[in-house]
Amino acid sequence: MPMNPLFWLLITPIICALILYVVGRTIPPDDESSPNKAAWLSLFSILLTVVPFVLTAKKFTEEGPVSLTAGMITLTFDGISLLMTSVLLVLSAMVVLFSAQYMVAEDHEEKFYGQIMILMSSIMGLTTATDIFNLYVWFELMAVSTYTLVSFYRNRTESLESGIKYLVQSAAGSVLVILGTSILFGLTGEVKISAIRESILTSSPAVIAATACLLIGYGVKCAIVPMHFWLPDAHSQAPAGISALLSGIVIETGLIALLRALSAVSHAHLPLGTIFLVIGCINMFIGTFSALRQKEIKRMLAFSSVSQMGYILLGIGFAISFPASAQNAEGIFTHIFNHALMKGLAFLSAGALVYCIKVSKGNHEPLLLDDLNGVSAKYPLYSLAFTISMLALGGIPLFAGFISKWQILASGIAAQRSWVAFLIALAGINSVLSLGHYAPPINRIYRHVPNNDEVAVSPKFQQAMIIPIIILTVAVILLGFFPGITAGITKVASETLYTMFY
Amino acid sequence: MAGILIPFLIFTPWLTAILVWFISDKHEEGLHQFASAGAILSAILSLLLLSQIGDSTISFAKIGPLFGNLSFSTDALGIILACIANCIGSLTVIFSAEYMKHEKSLARYYSMVLLFIGAMSGLVLTANIFMIFFFWEITALCSYQLISFYNDDPNAVRGGLKALFITQFGGIGLMVAGLLIFGYTNSFEIGRFIQAAQGGEIPANVLGIIGFTLIIAATAKSAQFPFFTWLPDAMEAPTPVSALIHAATMVNAGVYLLCRFFPALEAIPGWKMTILILGLITILISSLMAIFATDLKRVLAYSTVSQLGYMFAAIGAGSVLACQFHLLSHAIFKALLFLCAGAIIHSCGTRDMYKMGGFFKKIPFISVTFIIGSLALAGIPILNGFWSKELILESIHSGTPIIIYILMLFSVILTALYTIRCVWLVFFGEPRSDLHVHDAPFLMALPLGILSLGTITSWLVFEPFSRSLSNSLPLYGIPKETLSELVSKIFWDPYTFLALGMVAIGILVWFLRNKLPLHNSITRKIESISLNSFGFEAINNGVVNGINAASEAIRNIQTGSLNWNIFGMLIGLICILIALMIGGL
Amino acid sequence: MNTLVIIAIVSLIAIGFYCLIITRNILKIIVALQVLVKGAMIAMILAGKLTDQMELAQSMAITIIVADTIVAVIGLAMSIQLREKTGTCDIHSISKLKR
Repeated sequence: MPMNPLFWLLITPIICALILYVVGRTIPPDDESSPNKAAWLSLFSILLTVVPFVLTAKKFTEEGPVSLTAGMITLTFDGISLLMTSVLLVLSAMVVLFSAQYMVAEDHEEKFYGQIMILMSSIMGLTTATDIFNLYVWFELMAVSTYTLVSFYRNRTESLESGIKYLVQSAAGSVLVILGTSILFGLTGEVKISAIRESILTSSPAVIAATACLLIGYGVKCAIVPMHFWLPDAHSQAPAGISALLSGIVIETGLIALLRALSAVSHAHLPLGTIFLVIGCINMFIGTFSALRQKEIKRMLAFSSVSQMGYILLGIGFAISFPASAQNAEGIFTHIFNHALMKGLAFLSAGALVYCIKVSKGNHEPLLLDDLNGVSAKYPLYSLAFTISMLALGGIPLFAGFISKWQILASGIAAQRSWVAFLIALAGINSVLSLGHYAPPINRIYRHVPNNDEVAVSPKFQQAMIIPIIILTVAVILLGFFPGITAGITKVASETLYTMFY
Repeated sequence: MAGILIPFLIFTPWLTAILVWFISDKHEEGLHQFASAGAILSAILSLLLLSQIGDSTISFAKIGPLFGNLSFSTDALGIILACIANCIGSLTVIFSAEYMKHEKSLARYYSMVLLFIGAMSGLVLTANIFMIFFFWEITALCSYQLISFYNDDPNAVRGGLKALFITQFGGIGLMVAGLLIFGYTNSFEIGRFIQAAQGGEIPANVLGIIGFTLIIAATAKSAQFPFFTWLPDAMEAPTPVSALIHAATMVNAGVYLLCRFFPALEAIPGWKMTILILGLITILISSLMAIFATDLKRVLAYSTVSQLGYMFAAIGAGSVLACQFHLLSHAIFKALLFLCAGAIIHSCGTRDMYKMGGFFKKIPFISVTFIIGSLALAGIPILNGFWSKELILESIHSGTPIIIYILMLFSVILTALYTIRCVWLVFFGEPRSDLHVHDAPFLMALPLGILSLGTITSWLVFEPFSRSLSNSLPLYGIPKETLSELVSKIFWDPYTFLALGMVAIGILVWFLRNKLPLHNSITRKIESISLNSFGFEAINNGVVNGINAASEAIRNIQTGSLNWNIFGMLIGLICILIALMIGGL
Repeated sequence: MNTLVIIAIVSLIAIGFYCLIITRNILKIIVALQVLVKGAMIAMILAGKLTDQMELAQSMAITIIVADTIVAVIGLAMSIQLREKTGTCDIHSISKLKR
């Protein structure tokens, strides 16, 4: 087992979490405006985790899925794990580097970084789970590590409110997950997902109850519409880096957990494809309509996450309904990858702006649309990055969002059913409507009359904020021009999805 | 050779656009010079490309999964349009060096204009329908950013967002059509699609959907009925932008789209007739609106919409040659008119024609060039507008029902009327208010002069024009005609004199306007309907208000109460159970 | 016997959700969550009995207890914060984030 790179991939972040918590607690930062030592240690440990990741990926491309067995539990690193881990490592490195400056002089700063490391480990473990119960355990670990990250600013009642609501709804969802899991376990006596899939071949009331419970339970975490109410509060009140992580990877991981669980009943002739298509359309429209009139930037971005999940759910609906679409399902994973980068860029650049305008003066109020007036004069780089993220999320070409949306819709049309054109038109209408909340902030930013005449702030470690923003901007533009860059990992993820459902 | 020229043609303006950001607003002179140099270089490259016209398709690498190949075609349809875009683009950039002097955010301005020029070249040169959509959306982005360039002016921002929404909505049509083409031919190449459509490989209903969604995309982009309301509001943009984007290039993208897919779609029942009717309605409505408008740029905007309607009518009548020839003439004289208008507005500070008057003596150079452009617009021989308009009228006369031809003749009267009204109000008569105007400085006068020369002579290239179109596009049914054939056909056709008579009637109506029984309630009623855009502005406002109301209503489901949220979760559970039971049992 | 257990599970879950929908007091909400989890846990044990895999089911049940205890601890910590900030245990006092 010590020679299995997968083992080290999962263990490294946990060990580092313990070490950096102790270090951060015992060694105080140099002065008031320097980040805690834990910040640099966590960045180092993320880079350290890249080593076993590369080894595991290499082993995967040479030999196929990499397995790790401990007693009765088997963890398998397959195509989907490869994709999610690569997204996770990129995004969390950017977030941790950004937070080194952003979270300076907060209370309990070292706990922040420790919890991010545990979150990383839980996400990697979740995507490799092959047991339906093990899936729940990693899922619960992931949820628990985010509860206190969301309500990090404990002196603001809004943060506390969003934390409580998130906790209660997530816990209620977990209960439904346990219920669904136990029904499936009771029906078949197996916990391995592949074994359950072979056993359940017809639908019955019990299977339907289990599927519904699993869908709703995991659906709370991946922001499916009647269960998404925690999302705008949590994503807007969390610190900027955590919002980026939550929108970028945590809800997608919830979706992967849902897919793994549903693949257990994929041979039971349930209309899952149609359900996903309908849910996808509902998500898109409710997300866009709710975001259109928002005055707070981060709340608008949070609702837009609901809408972007709608696109991914639409893609999954196509993949489950039509085998031809499942063979071309790269779009789903490209969108997961690109959305993480674009949403990460949006939250980080909005975070940089709110840091310079408000947080550095101790003001933890949210960033309003009016605050953006004329901001490009003082902070040209952050403004440009925010503009690019808005355009990318709106699906304008030159940027990554256009590419992944096209791929999802093209996978739908590969099935050659003409009614799919209607769904594509709906997705297109939603894209156009979403420009109604992505475009006005750009116009505000490039005004010449600013909101107030304050002097531009230059924090001590500004490179820590600039570098991740530049890297993400370049990535978003590059992926808009060369979609082939991620074609390798999305192809294997798409193949894994095909084997899960057919 | 073409394989090297085409990528350079797209990347030169794009590279210039990026480098302009690095020069930044601090070095204004350098910005103007660098942008102009980049634009002129791409104009030269496009002219070089004229020598490479052929019927080959150049394919570079595969873009990625589900995107097709990066391929370009060297046919005349694309290359001629690319030349128009780049040459007129370079002239407007030179004009901007003077017009936009001492404005702020020039780096953003030039980068968007150059990005647009490159995207337009790409749009017309590519042979991959995904790439058409790619460049199409980029032009929409540039148009939106340039219309709302003066972000502090709420009218400009509103105009920009309106243009963005309407053209993006049309873009959905292009997206659906492109995806359907991929779904049913398994390829993104236009040539393959034309082959499949003509060979009957695509089911008739699917081909019908493709045809009509492409019409939606084209009418939205070219501001035809019922999507014409965005173009007049787009006049908030700086005038060089209006000249380039909203007269000479972007609005031609819709016309280009229909011409490009013509051989595949012409056989669809009702397709050509729909385009013809849409074009005709547009011409009549927009000409009426131009007659009653008071803003100089709005008159030119409505006139653009109306001339695009002529091009649509030409496609509807089946003649791609007439359409493209008029596109060439219109791009030149409309850019000329807009740039002259820009020079006038820049010096006197107002766009209201009822405040102008008597400018002919004060600014002779601009006046002469404007009058040359307006003569071409009205269709006076021997300017380029005359020849191309007559060609369109001739194809309508021979290819469509007679009632359409009669309505077209009526529209010639209206065109002449609004043209002479505009010229007279601005340049002749007594000055209506105390405005100071000065003639154009060199950098403004140069493009005006070049474009006037083009207006007088561009019809002379008809023969190589039609020959290259016919040779490089064998499937499109374009006839080869020589110049002398064209001249003699039009001169000896009695219908030409009928059309000229209509122009004369239009001019006479203006000069006799006080003597004719026109000041009655019918004219007033038409005037008020025209000023309200025939109710379409009200429809736009209705849609926007409806969406805002829906948004406010949907926001209420986010109750903020934990109890309601859990209840929502249970509702979701029940719905999923019902859905699964209906489908599963 | 199994029917009785199923009735117990269903009633626990129903009571738990009913409390979550009705209650305003944060402590009662945490208790309701605990009731829910216990109901689900009994379902797990029942599943183990039905398929004759009691050891596996028992280990899963213990894992569930651990998980939900952690959640309860964090929830109670947040309740203390709530009590300190607003002086009440009423969640409607902090329902400011809406629309």
